[in-house]
Amino acid sequence: MNQAEIRKLIPALRVAVTAKKRRFSNPRGPDGRLHKMRTTVNELIKNERMEVNYNRADEARGYAERLISEAIRYGDCHRPTMELADFWLPEKQNVHKLFKVLVPRFKDSQVSYTRIHKAPHVYPSPLFDKVVLELRGNPFPPLEKFTTKRNWIHNILLEEAHREYLEKKYKQQEQEQEQEEEEVQ
Amino acid sequence: MLSAVPRRIFHTFFRKPPAQRVTAKVPPYIRDQDSNTDNEQPLPHDFRIVYPEFLPDPRPEWRNRLRERLERNDMLTRRSVVAIPEFYIGSIMAVTVGDPNASDKTNRFVGICISRGGTGLRAWFNLRNVIDHQGLEIMYEMYSPLIRNIEVLRLEKRLDEELLYLRDALPEYSTFPLDMEPELLPEGAPVPINDIKVKLKPRPWHERWERKNLQGVQDLGLPQRFYNKAKLHEKPWEKYDLMMEYRATIPEEEQADIFQEIAPHYQQLESSRRQSKRRLAQTSRY
Repeated sequence: MNQAEIRKLIPALRVAVTAKKRRFSNPRGPDGRLHKMRTTVNELIKNERMEVNYNRADEARGYAERLISEAIRYGDCHRPTMELADFWLPEKQNVHKLFKVLVPRFKDSQVSYTRIHKAPHVYPSPLFDKVVLELRGNPFPPLEKFTTKRNWIHNILLEEAHREYLEKKYKQQEQEQEQEEEEVQ
Repeated sequence: MLSAVPRRIFHTFFRKPPAQRVTAKVPPYIRDQDSNTDNEQPLPHDFRIVYPEFLPDPRPEWRNRLRERLERNDMLTRRSVVAIPEFYIGSIMAVTVGDPNASDKTNRFVGICISRGGTGLRAWFNLRNVIDHQGLEIMYEMYSPLIRNIEVLRLEKRLDEELLYLRDALPEYSTFPLDMEPELLPEGAPVPINDIKVKLKPRPWHERWERKNLQGVQDLGLPQRFYNKAKLHEKPWEKYDLMMEYRATIPEEEQADIFQEIAPHYQQLESSRRQSKRRLAQTSRY
């Protein structure tokens, strides 16, 4: 009671999670929330990128990350992990994909396995926050523009100035060394 | 004629977006970078089982890193004064507390540990015994300065995580002699699991035990309608609820960091744990 659960050792999630679970009331009843999450996780693993509402994506993200980290840690020969994958991925080809494709992809990763990008609200749909939830390393073109500041003129000029300064300094040091050797002789 | 556009969208377009409910997020745990990774000791596999109160309460609204650190320091100090032994639910223990009104200023109680909890200095456990046909339960705070001595008379585990059903069981299952001698285990032996099946008294009970999936009770012998109702209340999907499991635990990296903090004192803790398993009963002469 109000002690941490100690039966299982779980690695830390690499994403921020809400302190409390989101409820997602739905007509299916008490198990509907997990069913909704299961559908989302299944589609994420299948298609590797999907556009959903923010709350659903954020909640499903935690489950997807946990599922992948369990698969990495225990592998497919571990019965409870297989049962877990069986529950979370109703389409069985995704169970194969999880263990054969995603585990090798992510097993040496130090960052999260999923990403969330904000998506635009398209008129006339309701004003709910839309996001794109995707797995890292997916085959689609990237959604983020990878901007680098190295090619800015300021930085190029500064780099050149730094290089010139270093060259001058080495020349000076060489000259000083030669002078010392002459003095010694 | 029905419009092609559902009415629901028309209603929601002019509605303001739902107010942004502030759902506080817990950032991902980052390992302590101050610690020296060269002489890092690996986390013992039973650290969280033998010393569960060193791990903090997983609920974020109750977390305070500084307070947890200070508490762990105080806990180690207290443990160097009073040896708090390893115990589990189902172990029979004897606790001696200071009592200003007693003739020898101490008060000793023997009982079976039916539940334990709390984190940090507030860690507690409940001992149950039946004395003069009266069931008694006393809650002891493990780190209270009033406690003179805690000894484990019989170290064992049970099939269940909480033995609250002993309140509804026949008194013989909760009765232990107050002058019980400690039973010693051979060195290095694993903690034995007592698979006793307890017989409950007839209903009414304190709780609906048929819904609790108890392993340590005999067949309850209830009419089928109880079990049918119990089945409706079952939540088999919780077994697969990964985030519920995660929110109830402290992640492995954090446990390792907590262990690094107390690692200098771990040798002492372990030696006192082994000693208390070997020690014969000492009458408290305080």
